[in-house]
Amino acid sequence: MVNLTIDGKQVAVEKDATIYDAAKACGIKIPILCHDKKLHPFGGCRMCLVEVEQMKGRLIPSCTTPVTEGMIVQTTTDEIVKARKLVLELLLLKHPIDCPVCDAAGDCDLQNLTYEYKVNMNRFVDEKFNHEIDYENPLIERDMNRCIHCGKCARICDEIVSYGAYTFINRGIEAKMGTEFDGPLNCEFCGSCVSVCPVGALNSRPFKFKARWWALQKTKSVCSYCGTGCQLTLGSKDGKVLTTIYDENQGFHNGQLCTRGRFGYQFVNSDKRLTAPLIRKNGKLQEATWEEALAEVTSRLSAGKSDPASVAALATPRLTNEELFLFEKLFRGTVGTDNIDHSAGFAHEALTKGAVASFGVAASPAEIADVQKSKLLLVVKSDAYETHPVIGFEINLGVKRKGIALRIVSDKKGKLTRLPGAKTTVHAPGSEVALFNALCKSVIDQGLAVEGVAGLDALKAAVADASAEKAGVTAEEIAALAKDFASAEKALIILPIGQGYPGHNAALANAAANLAILTGQVGKEGAGLLIMGEKNNSQGAVDMGIYPKGTGLNAAAILDGCANGNVKTLFVAGENPVVSYPNRKKVEKALENVEFMVVSDLFLTETAAMADVVLPACSFAEKSGTFTSLGRRVQNVRKAIPAVGLAKSDFEILNAISQALGGAGYNNQGEVFTEIAATVPAYKGLTQACLKDEGAVYPVALSAKLVPVAAKAAAPAAGKLALVTGSALYHCGTMSRFGEGPMYVCPDAYAELNVADAAALKIGEGDQVTVTSGTGAVQVAVKVGKRVPQGVVFSPYHFGEGSVNTITDGSEVTYVTVAKK
Amino acid sequence: MIMPLIKGLQITISHMFKKPVTLQYPTERPDVKPGFRGLHALNVSHDKAKCVACYLCPTVCPAKCITVEAGEDANHDKYAAKYEIDMLRCIFCGYCVEACPVDAIRMTEQFELANYSRADFTYTKDRLLEKK
Repeated sequence: MVNLTIDGKQVAVEKDATIYDAAKACGIKIPILCHDKKLHPFGGCRMCLVEVEQMKGRLIPSCTTPVTEGMIVQTTTDEIVKARKLVLELLLLKHPIDCPVCDAAGDCDLQNLTYEYKVNMNRFVDEKFNHEIDYENPLIERDMNRCIHCGKCARICDEIVSYGAYTFINRGIEAKMGTEFDGPLNCEFCGSCVSVCPVGALNSRPFKFKARWWALQKTKSVCSYCGTGCQLTLGSKDGKVLTTIYDENQGFHNGQLCTRGRFGYQFVNSDKRLTAPLIRKNGKLQEATWEEALAEVTSRLSAGKSDPASVAALATPRLTNEELFLFEKLFRGTVGTDNIDHSAGFAHEALTKGAVASFGVAASPAEIADVQKSKLLLVVKSDAYETHPVIGFEINLGVKRKGIALRIVSDKKGKLTRLPGAKTTVHAPGSEVALFNALCKSVIDQGLAVEGVAGLDALKAAVADASAEKAGVTAEEIAALAKDFASAEKALIILPIGQGYPGHNAALANAAANLAILTGQVGKEGAGLLIMGEKNNSQGAVDMGIYPKGTGLNAAAILDGCANGNVKTLFVAGENPVVSYPNRKKVEKALENVEFMVVSDLFLTETAAMADVVLPACSFAEKSGTFTSLGRRVQNVRKAIPAVGLAKSDFEILNAISQALGGAGYNNQGEVFTEIAATVPAYKGLTQACLKDEGAVYPVALSAKLVPVAAKAAAPAAGKLALVTGSALYHCGTMSRFGEGPMYVCPDAYAELNVADAAALKIGEGDQVTVTSGTGAVQVAVKVGKRVPQGVVFSPYHFGEGSVNTITDGSEVTYVTVAKK
Repeated sequence: MIMPLIKGLQITISHMFKKPVTLQYPTERPDVKPGFRGLHALNVSHDKAKCVACYLCPTVCPAKCITVEAGEDANHDKYAAKYEIDMLRCIFCGYCVEACPVDAIRMTEQFELANYSRADFTYTKDRLLEKK
């Protein structure tokens, strides 16, 4: 610790702190324009000048100057104020004073400082800039006339996002923030640059002119897309969510969001939202009252009570914990059926079967904070960046700032593979388990296994015939990776799961856990296995028991039951099996065949359109409750706007049905959480009030053991390409299709081909092709690149038109032929 | 009893021959003084309303009677797609004029604002623009 005096106050701070940090620590505010707590010091704006007794004669920038013992600092003297005023006058010389039409007004650092320092005249005169404004991209408007050259956008894009869309171009008075060849912006559109821009040079186009900053009602909540559990502040006005507001003090990610979090909120107030219940009459869905709709549903469900096996229910892991708990209680308790599931089964199997077998708990042993505390990260599939972009930012930061080693085992390359020092092992598609078995074997062969691990002999026998060749990689690569992983001080495996990744199942979770356990990389900080659930409350759905526990049917068996008539009543809460479950034809046939189907959803999805009763549900912005993110953090979701139209939250719907069926009834969702805390062991002692803004990570008691798993023998079909599915960066599940932002950037289904394959098939970028498998055929546009290796096709699963589940059947890899339409 | 009555009538009758003290509205029109705060008007420049929809008037308005909705025109500029004043709520304080950074709103000398229906008291952008 270093002791110094700032404005007469004694402070003790860490020796790597700057004067600015020290001042902040003792509550003294030094004005800044170019500094950001998440970025490296820059020292460009000269607003934070201070006077240091030991360095008299000149003013010192506090954001770049490290503290030294005994420093005496003055932060506001007449000389300093004069210098700061000069800085502002010089900035305002070129800045167009168009605050009335600038969306940043009210939240503009330059405006606030100009007011604070009473800069109401300018000694200098100059012409304003006359840069062309970039209106071309759909999400970020760039008006470089307003730019004050703080460089924050370039730095955040480089340091945290690792994209590098911006840089300073030209020199002197002509210098400006430019893009590639000074063209229109074409990037990931995460909007990080917009969030840190201290003025209105970078603006969110979807929010342009919608409201003034001070008129927005700000509600702290949790994003409802992926499982990362990023906190966000919703800006709403007149019952509409208009934007997400940046707050650098929110969550582990310091307010950092991805493109869906920042630009995907429009689904909440989409015109396509369902506003009234629908009942099928004479084969057509017609508007009805809530009484009629609920009466229909409860009469069917109460009839089903006498034959519980004929009732089944699917829920989306986007619901709150309270709703899922009530869902489970209603169907497993009141109705008495064990036929409940979510996410097609395989999107939670890694937790409910894999983690349970290996660690004894249905949760990841590691948490998000472990990513930055680790020394080596082993990421399964480069897609971890696409499925959980903000975890991707954490990986970027860890690798670039802390020198964490990064190893990727993937069937294709991706953004993570381009990080400094990253080593990617590209394996044959679908051979993840074989690869991990080969790694385990190599660890044992090299004598790196921890002594006395339970089940070591069984594992030895199981992996005896494992080899690198079976995974399509070289033995040297495997040996080097196994050595790096085992000898790292702390190593963490990151495994994304989801509906796009049927191969990321219980077997893979076990195989990955085996490697971690075998090398002793569990039960300590910064090590273990982080299983990343796909949806915002995937972990919560597992905790609340939304999967068959006894003899009940899983999602696939429920659909089979619908097809063969064993399941007569199907309740679907927010799921969209028609697009997201494998084998679309089969799903459609099953849903057509089921006697009675109820769907509660925000939109008339492909599944809801087939239902007998459709109940309009509320989005996350219209209800309160809790979500549990990956890494077991339980966080508060808060209501920002009243329900859209006649929509009711799933809590209200389920509560009404439960009461009508003679089951439990609650006055509000808070009562349900109290019951969760009393009955779900992991949530013991939690209350919604004590979760506050930051949430709480519930603890797990691990009992790690090795679980040998056999790798499926790959059977590549000659002359065919291997289709692997997954997530596109801009989308999550099928809900992001209703957000304008993601749809501007990535509106249609596509298939990604290697340049060599494309050349051989004479297919060019953007061509429409027919992809045919044993299950069916689908027409999509083609993207050509070097990301996927030769012989592999990648396609994201989110889209209703040209949905890739038309040709998949739930196996890890689908062998397809691609032909020009 | 009779004397006070006569006295009273005397005063009344004497006034019949004097100049009236009050203004004979509506036959006589008042002379509106400068600075009078009457009905609002939106100023026009180059055949367009000067208003840039900065929302400062609804922000400063103590009666919350101004509704503005901004729009984006073909040049990507901001304009008031909707500008409405609820004259039943307006207290004619003039803060909107004071707050306007672009001199887009003024208050006219018009004070005859009576109307037959509530809806007629909502002054839309068109009605406010009419008076030059």
